[in-house]
Amino acid sequence: MGSKDHTLLISPIGELDGNGELLDQLRMEIHNVFGYETRLLSLLEEKDLPADPIRKQVHSTPILETLALLAPPEALKILAITRVDLFIPVLTHVYGEAQLGGKACILSTYRFWEKRSSTPESFRCRMLKEAIHELGHTFGLRHCRDAGCVMHYCRSVSEVDRKSSQFCRYCAVLLQDEMKRMG
Amino acid sequence: MSGAKILVVDDELIVRESLGGWLERDGHKVEKAASGEEALEKCQNTRYDILLLDIKMEGMSGLEVLKKVKETDPDVSVVMITAYGSIPSAIEAMKSGAYEYLLKPFDPDELMVLIEKIMKHQADRRETLFLREQYKERTRFESMIGQSRALQEVFDLIERIAPTDSTVLIKGETGTGKGLAARAIHTKSRRSQGPFVVVNCGAFPEHLLESELFGYQKGAFTDAKTTKKGRLELAHGGTLLLDEIGEISMRMQIDLLRVLEDRVFYRVGGTQPIEADFRIIAATNKDLEKAIKEGTFREDLYYRLNVICFTMPPLREHKEDIPLLAEYFLHRFAQETNKPVDQISREALDEMMLYDWPGNVRELGNAMERAVVVGRGRRILPQDLPIFRPGSVSTPPGRTLREVEIAHLNSILNETQWNISRSAEILGIDRSTLYDKIKRYDLQKPA
Repeated sequence: MGSKDHTLLISPIGELDGNGELLDQLRMEIHNVFGYETRLLSLLEEKDLPADPIRKQVHSTPILETLALLAPPEALKILAITRVDLFIPVLTHVYGEAQLGGKACILSTYRFWEKRSSTPESFRCRMLKEAIHELGHTFGLRHCRDAGCVMHYCRSVSEVDRKSSQFCRYCAVLLQDEMKRMG
Repeated sequence: MSGAKILVVDDELIVRESLGGWLERDGHKVEKAASGEEALEKCQNTRYDILLLDIKMEGMSGLEVLKKVKETDPDVSVVMITAYGSIPSAIEAMKSGAYEYLLKPFDPDELMVLIEKIMKHQADRRETLFLREQYKERTRFESMIGQSRALQEVFDLIERIAPTDSTVLIKGETGTGKGLAARAIHTKSRRSQGPFVVVNCGAFPEHLLESELFGYQKGAFTDAKTTKKGRLELAHGGTLLLDEIGEISMRMQIDLLRVLEDRVFYRVGGTQPIEADFRIIAATNKDLEKAIKEGTFREDLYYRLNVICFTMPPLREHKEDIPLLAEYFLHRFAQETNKPVDQISREALDEMMLYDWPGNVRELGNAMERAVVVGRGRRILPQDLPIFRPGSVSTPPGRTLREVEIAHLNSILNETQWNISRSAEILGIDRSTLYDKIKRYDLQKPA
């Protein structure tokens, strides 16, 4: 789908659960979904994420701004992945955050192990779905009411498990429109 | 309508930005205000569905803002955001009309569920108002009336297009009778024995509109206890009027495009394709070409709808119909209220001819209804009419149409002490149209 002039960057922050193979699988799957060349490039370390002294969590919004500044020029979108717990002020936590129609998004895997029956495979699927979800936001997509669509907002990991890694036909059309617009 | 229109009011930039961003990703239209004063100014010019209002702010407090906002717009739902120490203020806010309060920091799910609940509540209320208005129109304005060339041309066009099955797009200002024209097309068509189903697209948030149009299968979502037919199915064999088509979300536009192309759709949560045979008429007071340029309306849908298109003329362009319309409304309301009024004075008619009727035929109907109710004799006199009267407000001589409209708007707003709902009712226009005019003319509430 995507043009070869643009690249999607997956930027792990510090150590992640799983191994390098997991990230490489994610890179290939993201490439298959969006069609753009997709690369792994680490831009930040975990120590670069200052935790709020009271909440012991990391405020995600400033990280997005930093990522957008650090991203190389060919990067169309950048997805950061971290295992730290993220928040935005007034909310207790967020699973991820994205600049709607912008460049950067971030995903936290912190709560992906909440379900007792979690396995490495379910962890991989959750990471893939939520990575596509956050990148979808950077392409201007908003939350979708269709519980099977990857853009559906999930209130628990069980809901993440139930949704697919595909865009519903509406979100697919809106994504294509946006990609065409970007050229 | 896609999502809610939300104003986030907080004096902390970080809260405004992050909460605003989260809500935007959830599909809502968000504006932000950094103080109570800014929030009030924004509320004067724009109609919001929901206000997320911090209680503790520098300058005007959230409580003061709540009270003032509720005076101007009692329909807006206000959610107070409060820290643990401010719970007594939150309780006071609930007594002053706040919908709910949230304790910082709150779970994103809690916010999402609350917004859905508010939107459902507001949709139910809008639908009730819409049905009431529909009922009034059906019982009072059964047919279109007019001898003017402008309306005769519309009638001729309706005669010619009614027997075809083509999709029709009716444009025109609020109150010009787009709904009546659609009904006339249905009545004169081969489908006249079938149902005439109306959907006010502007009345529903996106997901409720989807259920209303397409229906749903039992179990499709938490509240779907039984299978329900949507209005597309109910319109089978008849005509479906999609009123305020310019208000639907991009996502619903994709859905409608598919229905127009295939005449097949699925109930929400359903897997069986449903075929329904109906004619679509769409109506709008929005400039859809402009919406296409702005990227808020799909060009392909526009061309699908715009097979046959006509515009209902505003009343100021066919003023020669005013005596006939006034006469019709006079007899109708006299009969309904059982009052012995049967004449309109020359002076009252002269005033009606001078006035520009921004709310069009609907405003004229409302004015005559009021005149019949408040009039004391057999004749309607100028003072019985709730319209701008030269000399009653101070305007410069040789005034323009714009100046007259501004003066009239100010006069009605001041008369109702800037009660927007009441003013819109008197003017015979929607609240959103009134807000647009206030914004366009930069009208200010007197200090």
